[in-house]
Order: sequence, then structure tokens, then C-alpha cells
Amino acid sequence: MRPFIVPGIIALFSVIIIYLALQLKLSPAMIVGHSMQPRSFPIFLMVINLILIAVLIWQISKSPPKPIELEGPTTWISVGSFVLFYIITIYLDFFIAISAVMFLLCYSWGEKRVHVAGLVAVSVPLSLFVLFDEVLKIRFPRGLITNWYYG
Amino acid sequence: MYEAISAMGSVILDPYLLMLIGCMTVLGIVIGVLPGLGATTGAALLLPFTLTMTPVHAIAVLATIYVAATFAGSITAILINTPGTSAAAATTFDGYPLAQRGEAGRALGIAVVASTIGGIFSILVLCLAAPMLARVAYEFRPPEYFALTVFGLSMLASVGAGGAVKNLIGGIFGVWLATIGAERVTSIERFMFGNYELYEGLSFVPVMIGLFAISELLVQSKKAHIVADVISLKAVKLPSKEDYKKIWRTIVRSSGIGTFIGILPAEGATVASMIGYSEARRWSKNQDEFGKGAIEGIAGAEAANNAATGGAMVPTMVLGIPGSGTTAIILVGLMVHGLRPGPYLFTEQVETVYQIFGSMLVANIIFLALGLYAAKLFARISLIPTSILWPIVFALSVIGAYSLSASLLDVWIALIFGVVGFFARRHGFSVAPIAVGLILGHMVENNLQNSLKMFDGQWWLIFTQPLALFFLVLAFLGLFGSQIFQFIKQKK
Repeated sequence: MRPFIVPGIIALFSVIIIYLALQLKLSPAMIVGHSMQPRSFPIFLMVINLILIAVLIWQISKSPPKPIELEGPTTWISVGSFVLFYIITIYLDFFIAISAVMFLLCYSWGEKRVHVAGLVAVSVPLSLFVLFDEVLKIRFPRGLITNWYYG
Repeated sequence: MYEAISAMGSVILDPYLLMLIGCMTVLGIVIGVLPGLGATTGAALLLPFTLTMTPVHAIAVLATIYVAATFAGSITAILINTPGTSAAAATTFDGYPLAQRGEAGRALGIAVVASTIGGIFSILVLCLAAPMLARVAYEFRPPEYFALTVFGLSMLASVGAGGAVKNLIGGIFGVWLATIGAERVTSIERFMFGNYELYEGLSFVPVMIGLFAISELLVQSKKAHIVADVISLKAVKLPSKEDYKKIWRTIVRSSGIGTFIGILPAEGATVASMIGYSEARRWSKNQDEFGKGAIEGIAGAEAANNAATGGAMVPTMVLGIPGSGTTAIILVGLMVHGLRPGPYLFTEQVETVYQIFGSMLVANIIFLALGLYAAKLFARISLIPTSILWPIVFALSVIGAYSLSASLLDVWIALIFGVVGFFARRHGFSVAPIAVGLILGHMVENNLQNSLKMFDGQWWLIFTQPLALFFLVLAFLGLFGSQIFQFIKQKK
């Protein structure tokens, strides 16, 4: 049953998209003319997708794929750090978030020397900030550090 | 012709451009030797840095990264049996055994020379073939373009590592992504969920950064604790006269094969190097040596994979159809800088086009020198701990995604597509078809709409246009050809 989960999720996604496309407004004939309604193309795509999924399911039932090995904690910490990144960016500062995630990634990926991980987590975002702000003239989102820097 | 030569020559008269190509060649080699990074991730990360540059400088940066990183994958393939890029996988078959025999220098020398010749050959073909193809493409109208993009999408079946069906599902998903935003003709909002930042559609840059850089970060997290051993080398030496005698035919053959395969939409350097290698073996008098350190094997794979880079630029620039993840990013670069990929590029922006070609030519010459004299140093770079490297890639990714339009939404898009790309790869779906599908999505829908208008809604009239029919037949054969031939064979 497990190999069919992914095709099942994609099929469900396709059906949801078809449903959402059917909710789209119809455009008056004088604008569309002999061309397609805006909903037609996405529906057409998802119908092709459903056909392809049927073929994929047939292929899987003929020769089931090898079970996928579960990733170690490093991968899940990395994925989890993106959530942390979102929270810190929204509530504190974009660059604090980058530094925190960099430190977490460095440490969880095997850099056990805290001072090295800390140095990387501070120096890289700082250098990139200077490069993008001073050279490329990009203004970063407001937060604790950027508020202090931009005034 | 004179205009083309003078534009290409102007590259060496522009010191800033020369310096840029030199630096990017070094950076491209560094990116190429770092296992997991590769040309596509490197180009995706550098794309935001090019935003303030002129179009020529920006595309020269991306094209140089493409050329140099494709070559550099061979350095780690030979020295640590780990191809820096998938295009160098075939180089490990003979490169590493030769290095184990204590001839790492000779193996690298052959790889560098073969790559340079392959690269230069393909750029010369690019200079000749692209304008000719552009002349043919002038005649294309919406039905022909629609059929061509369908052909390009059908070729996605063979792009990347997933199976044909999985690649096509990825491609269709990519095309659907292109429908997000306001519809072009009616302005009806599609799949925006009230988010007006998506009115113009999904930005290509954050999606590319997510699919290639962030998903690769998550893939590499599984290998975080693997430590590679580097084979020591004394110096990189040029192939001897005997070596040249042995490999020149292979280099010429593989350069031709690589260029041709690169030109085919959706076929890239990896396929080229595999075919280049197998053809080198087929034509060799010393087939038994293959797999044990045959220099023809190294030359065959390396000439082909670098020749494919020039070839792949032909459909990208002339037709606007990228053949791989990296050319998809170069195409995005062209569009971000206001250049319209397609045949008109060759009439409206001749100088720009040939300056880009000239930059690729110069990059090939620079990496010959760097490969010969600094390969040992570059090999050391591959030992940078992944625990330092990938957090830096994360910082570059999120800042790069933000910088395009100073929008945090782009950062979230990059992270979401990073996770989506990771899970897709985990389940055997390649991310390159999603990227190519996203780029071709607008083309295919717009040209279908215009074709329907042209034929008053009678869609079947598309099949009455000879060129359109030709491309649609090619697409059909590309998808079902092997099954049909197998069926006929079984019947016989």
C-alpha cells in the first residue's frame, strides 16, 4: 500500500486543482472570443496528470519500488530550521533568523566547535548584508537589527 | 559575419568583462568541485547577484559558471571518485582508476584538454548553427511555437533522474505553476488565494533557488558525515604526443556527439558524457582497458559533456526552450534582463548574443590554464566541511531570493519549493522538469490561445500546419517511439 501513497497525494492534488479551477469566473465571450476560458488550461493539465498517475500506479503495481530509507535527524532538523527561520523573521529580524538557522545547521551537521559555528553564523550574514546593502543597494525588511542600522 | 566576429572580439577589449569571466571561471570551478553544488545550483545562487549588471555581463557570468562548473566536476571525479556534477559521472569510470595507479596528473591533463576542445568546438557550432536556426524560426507562428513547446515538454520525459512518467508529472506540475496569477487575456485571477503579490505570477528566481539550491541542501544533509579521501597528485601534466595520437579521434567524435545532444531540447551534458564514453569504448582498439584507466574513456566523456554546454545554448537562445536546469536559469537571466529569447534576439541584439558566445569561448580558454596549473588547489576545496558549506548556501539562497523584488514572499516561496523539491527527489521525481515546465508554461498556454484565435477555435487545424505537425509527430515519437518499435519488434 505504501508505494501508492505518493501517486495518491498527487491525484488528490490534481482533483483539488480541478475543483478550484471550476470555481474560477467565466469570462464573457466577447473577451475570450474563440480562445479558451481561463479555467480550461489548468483543468486540461490536471486531466493529463491524472492519466499519467494512472500509468504510474500501473507501473508500481507491476514492479514495486524499493522502500525509501528514512532520513536521519540532520535532515529533519534542517527542515525544522526553516520553520524557526520563518518565526524569527516575522517576530524579530531577517538577519537574526539567518544567523540562528546557520548556527543550528552548522552544529547539527557535525561542526561541534561552537566558536567556529558561531563565527560562520555571524560573519557570513554580515558580509552578505554589506554586499547587498552597500553594493547592490537592496533594502532588507525591517526588524531589530535593520531598524537600528537604517535608523 | 563581420559584426559577429567583432562582437566576439570585443570581449577581450572589455577589461571589466574579462575580469568578470576570470573570476567566474575560478568560482565556477570551485562550485564544480564541491560535491552537490554543481552548475545549476551555482547559477541559481548567482542569479540575484547579476541583477545590477548589464545584460551581457549578467549572462556572461551565468554562462561562464555553466561552462567552468561542468568541466570542474571532473576534478573530484578523478581525485575522489565523486563527480562534482552529474555530467562528470562517466569520467569516474576511468579517471579514478588511472588516478589510483598514480597517474592522477595525466588523467586531469587529458580531462582539461578534452573539455577545452569540446567546449570551443561547440561554441563555434553555436555561432554558426544559432543564426541559421533563427532564420528558420522567423517563420514560426503560434501553432508552430505551440507544437515546439509541446515537443520540448515531451522531451522532459528524459530529463533528470526520474523515470519518464515521473518526469512528465513534474513537467505538468511546472506548467500548472505557470498558470498561477492573473490570466493574460482576461485578467481573471487563478490560484492566487487573495495574495496580490502573485498577480504577475510566480517569480522564476525564488522557485529556481528553492528547487535547486535548497532542495540540494536537504539532500546533502543525508551525507553530512561522509568524509572523502583525496588522491595526492604531484602536478598536472599535458597529455604526451602518444596520448594525443590515441585520443584525438575520440575528442573530435565526442565533441560532435556532445554538441548534437546538447542541441536537442531537454538533453544535457550528463546524457552527452555517457554516450561520448560508450562511443569512445565502441570505437576503441583497447576496449579491455575501459574501466581500468583508459585515457580514451576520460577524453570521450569530458569532450562530450563540455561540448553539450555550447549545444544546449542553441535551443535556449534561438527558441527559448531550455534543455536543462542550468539553461533554464540562463533563460530566466535573459528574461530578467529584458532580453526576449527567440529568433528576434539574433536581429535585435546581435552584438549582445555574440558577446555572450565570446565570453563562453574565453571561459574555456581560462579554465584550460586554471585546470592545468591549479587543479591541485581546487581539489583541496572539495574538502571544505559540508557543515560549513551548506549553511552558507542557505544564507545565499534566502538573501538571493529576497533580493529580486525585496519581497519576503519570495523567500517563503524559495523555502516551500526547497521542501517540495526535496520530497519530490526523495520519491524519485527530478526537479529539472518542474523548472523547465514553469518556464515553458507561459509559452505553451499563450501560443495555444493565439492558435485557437487564429483558427476560430478549430484546434484541429493546428495539425494542418506542416511544421507544427512535424513537431507534434516528434513529440509523439519521443513519448511513445520506443514502445511502438518494441511492439513492432515483438510482432515480427
